[in-house]
Amino acid sequence: MMISGGIGGKQPSASSSKALTASGGGTSSWAPTTSLSASGKRIQREMSELNMDPPPDCSAGPKGDNLYHWVATIIGPQGTPYEGGIYFLDITFPSDYPFKPPKVVFKTRIYHCNVDTAGNLIIEILNDSWSPALTITKVLLAIRSIFTNPNPSDKPLIPGIARLYLADREKHDELAAEWTRRFAK
Amino acid sequence: MVSVDEPKRSPKNPVANGQNVDGVFSPRFKSMAALAGWDEEALLLASLVVEDTPERETKNKKRSDLLFKTPPSNSRRKRRAQRKSPISIPVAVLDLDEEETTRKGTENEKKNSEMKNVVNDEKKKGANESPEQNSSGSCSSSGLPCMDKLREELSCAICLEICFEPSTTPCGHSFCKKCLRSAADKCGKKCPKCRQLISNGRSCTVNTVLWNTIQLLFPHEVEARKAAGALNSREAGCKVPETAFYNNLRNESTRASGVSSRDTSSRRRRGTVSHVENAALAIRSQRGDEDQSQGRGVYNNVRMRSSQPGVSSRDTRVRARRGMLSQDEDAALALRLQREEFMDAFRETSEQSSSSISLARANLRAMASRAINLRIRGRTNM
Repeated sequence: MMISGGIGGKQPSASSSKALTASGGGTSSWAPTTSLSASGKRIQREMSELNMDPPPDCSAGPKGDNLYHWVATIIGPQGTPYEGGIYFLDITFPSDYPFKPPKVVFKTRIYHCNVDTAGNLIIEILNDSWSPALTITKVLLAIRSIFTNPNPSDKPLIPGIARLYLADREKHDELAAEWTRRFAK
Repeated sequence: MVSVDEPKRSPKNPVANGQNVDGVFSPRFKSMAALAGWDEEALLLASLVVEDTPERETKNKKRSDLLFKTPPSNSRRKRRAQRKSPISIPVAVLDLDEEETTRKGTENEKKNSEMKNVVNDEKKKGANESPEQNSSGSCSSSGLPCMDKLREELSCAICLEICFEPSTTPCGHSFCKKCLRSAADKCGKKCPKCRQLISNGRSCTVNTVLWNTIQLLFPHEVEARKAAGALNSREAGCKVPETAFYNNLRNESTRASGVSSRDTSSRRRRGTVSHVENAALAIRSQRGDEDQSQGRGVYNNVRMRSSQPGVSSRDTRVRARRGMLSQDEDAALALRLQREEFMDAFRETSEQSSSSISLARANLRAMASRAINLRIRGRTNM
C-alpha cells in the first residue's frame, strides 16, 4: 500500500516533465498526448477556462511549448495613470502547482511602489497567503487591482515611490503616466 | 490512435452539450408549452428521457458496479428515485413516449387555433421548430438543464475537475480527498477556500452523499478518473466486487493463520502468504523500536511456523541468509520481495482469465498479514 502510493505519487511528475522537455523541441502542439501530472492537468484546465471566460483587460497563455511558462498581458485600467498601457508579465508555474504559488514578473517597466526595477512584485496572495484554490485568473485580477490601489504602507518594494504616493499623489500620478507613455505603449 | 484519444475526449463532451441545452427551446415554443401546462424543465426532461432511453440502460449497467463501493443502504431503486426530480415526471418513462407525440399533436392544434392572424410562413417555422429542438436535445448526454452550474458547484477548487471522493472541511467546503490531503500537507492545515483551520487534514473522510450524487450526475468523469487512478495504483484498478471475496477471505485467513484444517490448496496459499508475512514483519521489526527484543523473538517464532511444506524457494533463501543480515539489509530485502510479489500479482491481473483468482489471492494476503499483525500484537502484550 505504502510502496504503491509512493511510486504512484512520483512517477507521473517525472514522466510528464520528460514529455515536456521532449516536446520542447519545437513541435507546435504543446499538449502532450502522454498522461499529464496533476499540475499539468490543472494548468491546462485553467487555460481552457481562461479562454472561455477571460477576465476584463487581461489575457494569458503559454509562451511556447512549455505548459509551465506563461506570458500574460494586463491593460492599464481606466482612471489610473497606467491607463492605456499594455503590461506584459511572465508567469512561471512550479512543478507542485497549485500547492505552491506561481512566480509572476513584470516584463514591462512600470512606475509603481509594489514593483521593483527587475519587475518583481509583492502581493500577499503570491507569497504567504497563497491558496491552492486560487487560479491565474484571480492572480491577474489581484495584480490589476494594485494598478488602481497601490499598497504603499505594507513593505513597498520602492519606498521612494510609496512616499511620493502618500505625500504628493498628483506628482506620483504624473510620473506614472509619463512612464506608461514611455514604456508601455 | 482514435481509440487512445477517446477516453480523454469523453469527459469534455458533456460540457459542450450542457451549453446547448439552454438554447434548446425558443421563447415562442416555451409560451406554447406553458399554455399546454408544461413548464420548461418538464419539457427538457421529457425530450431527453425519450431520446435517451437506450443509453440510460447502458448507463445503469455501468453504474451497477459502483454499487459495491457505496454503503449497502443505498438500493438501486432509491437512487433512481433520486435521479428524477420529484415534480417533473410523475409518469413512467415508457408512457412518456406516447405522451410526447400526443403533446406535439395538441400543441400544434393550439397553435393553429390561436395564431390565426399570424402569417403563414411563420407558422411553418413554428411547426419546424419542434423536431429540430428534439434532435438538438437528444445529443446532450447529461440529463439536467442546469448541468453546467452543477459541474461548477461539484468541481474541486484545487484540481478544477469534478470532485473525486469529495471530503468536506469543518467550514463546509468540499475538495477531492487527495487534493485536500496534499493541500494540508504542503500549504498548512487551512481550508484552501476560506483559510479556516482544518483540525486534521490526515483523517479526512469521504462525504458519502456528495460522492454518490457526483457518481450519479457525472458517471463518465468518475469512470475516467478511476481509470486514470488504476494506472497509478493497482488498488484503484480492482473494480471487482469486494464483498464477494471478503467472506472467502475471512475463511482463508483464519485457516492460514495456523488453525486446524490444512488441505493442499490452503497450504499452497500459505506459501504465498508467507512472503508478505516476512516482508511485513521485517519492515515492522525495523520500525518498532519499543519492544525490539520481544518483537525479534516473535519474528523468529513466526518464521519457524512459516517453514512448512509449500513454502517457496525464495522464502528459504531468505531464511538461510537471515542469520547474518543486519536489520537494514533485512528490511531492504523484504521490500524487494514485496515488490516482486506486487509485480507478480500485477502481471496476473492483466491476464483476464485469472484476474479474479489473483484478486482473491491479493486480498487474502492482505488479510492474512493483518491477522498476523494482530496476533503479534496480542503476544507482545502478553
